[in-house]
Amino acid sequence: MSLIIDVQQVTKRYGDKTALNKVEFSLEKGAPVALVGPNGAGKTTLFSLLCGYIQPSSGKISILGHTPGDSALFGRLSALPQDAQLDPRFSIAMQLNFYARLQGMSNKFAQKDTARVLDMVGLSDALNSLPSELSHGMRKRATIAQALLGSPEIVMLDEATAGLDPANAREIRAIVSEHASDVNFILSSHDLSELERLCDQVLYLDNGQLKHHQTLGNNDSAGFLTLRMKQIYPEIMPVILQIPGVSQVTMTQDKEYLLTVSNEQGKLSIEMELLTALASNNWSYTQLINGKTLENQLF
Amino acid sequence: MKISWLRIWCLVTFEVLRLFTTKRGLLALSAFATIWFIILYYFVGSASSMITSPSFESMASQLFGALGLTALLDWPVAEYAIYWLVAVYFFPSFALLVCSDQFCSDKHRGTLRFITLRTTRAELVLGRYLGQLLIIAILILLTSIATTLLASMRDVTLLLASLKIGAKLSVELLIVVMPFIALMSLLNTLVNSARLAIVAATLFFALGPLVLAFIQYQFGQVFYLNWLFPGEQISSILSQNGTATSQYLLPLIQTALLLITSHWLMKRASL
Repeated sequence: MSLIIDVQQVTKRYGDKTALNKVEFSLEKGAPVALVGPNGAGKTTLFSLLCGYIQPSSGKISILGHTPGDSALFGRLSALPQDAQLDPRFSIAMQLNFYARLQGMSNKFAQKDTARVLDMVGLSDALNSLPSELSHGMRKRATIAQALLGSPEIVMLDEATAGLDPANAREIRAIVSEHASDVNFILSSHDLSELERLCDQVLYLDNGQLKHHQTLGNNDSAGFLTLRMKQIYPEIMPVILQIPGVSQVTMTQDKEYLLTVSNEQGKLSIEMELLTALASNNWSYTQLINGKTLENQLF
Repeated sequence: MKISWLRIWCLVTFEVLRLFTTKRGLLALSAFATIWFIILYYFVGSASSMITSPSFESMASQLFGALGLTALLDWPVAEYAIYWLVAVYFFPSFALLVCSDQFCSDKHRGTLRFITLRTTRAELVLGRYLGQLLIIAILILLTSIATTLLASMRDVTLLLASLKIGAKLSVELLIVVMPFIALMSLLNTLVNSARLAIVAATLFFALGPLVLAFIQYQFGQVFYLNWLFPGEQISSILSQNGTATSQYLLPLIQTALLLITSHWLMKRASL
């Protein structure tokens, strides 16, 4: 496995405020990586450092063996920075064509690639529209399209699906999962279920510090089942506790239960008994998850 | 520092597109065309009759003489004498306005974040600067061609002389304008809007001499700080009376220094 990102003891200060404090991690080529954390945790600062928009106060960052902002990364690293907007005075196609030519494409190829990426995000009809003529969601998709120009090796998407309607958010997720084998995606989002579906690794930032760097579906989560019900059934917890192999049941949030399974080998029979118990009591469930949800793993 | 001329060319051509395809650019062009129509029609076009008419001749000689511009009266193409006097002040002021948004609004909007993933900051500063310079060069050339046409329409034998003097003045004007565009590049690294850049430039030229006078008064000696101001040499080159090459070194040095400082600040800027 080759190292794509290596962050060593990176600190970023804005005056007295420390946005990132001695953050250290390395990422290898592979499935998408999720960057999560509460507001103000330092996610966007980390993105900005990785893209070379800002310089670290101390520490070292290496991306594909180069420092951020190095010309060797042009066309290899792309990003959707949060809150960045296209120039309102030029059509979407004209701007994307310009970016593609900056990446080294010929004018003809740049036009072709612009059409390709706009088609990917469902904006073929808006090729010659000005950004001001598009809705917020469409503008967002246009900025996602610029991140897909050429054949980047690393794509960083900061809050890519925020502000998109469910259908378009799904399209973006489909693009990520479709290209996940060729492109190393790094995604930041507050939608944990989205990240859970797409990502294999999670970087959890809190208050400028990296709290977790873990692989999803690892052994920590193996001895658990998560059950989501359609509605609240007051008697459900004692019933579940009676199932052999279930040592503990906790209500993690409204209509959601975390089952601690003492016997991992017999998980299948526990699941079957659980479903039988639910059916016999006429209780409707919405989801049975093998392991902990990302939310329960992190918080 | 590795620089890709291909990426710089991309940035330059996009700047030219900005002038000819955006509403703002076309508005600036319309204003420019209107102003120059008036200058060419009323001043440059009638320059010959004004300067050579017996009643005006003595007055012009006195006036131009007082300003140290008598050499201009000897030019075979009278139109260019008026053209030079207007253009040498007009183009620097126009450059301050037209080149006021080299990257400040892109920085404010976040568009630079898309661009700097594809080009270095040095290329960005240089590319945008050269783009603006090309635009001003095109405009200078257009006004120079119009002046040549006016002179040739009066007397077709002046065509060759007009072309020669037009080419010479165009190059000289471009050199005069260069540090003004570079100054706007530098101010763009410090402010977030074109309007603020223009305000900063106005303050620089309005308050700068006062500050220099104060420094001189305080320390009782000349520090030659006036050399920091673009256009400092204009009064010396205005007469076109055996202009020394060294007069054009100052704007070139100022341009280089301003661009280096602009790049230095841009390199450290947070986008």
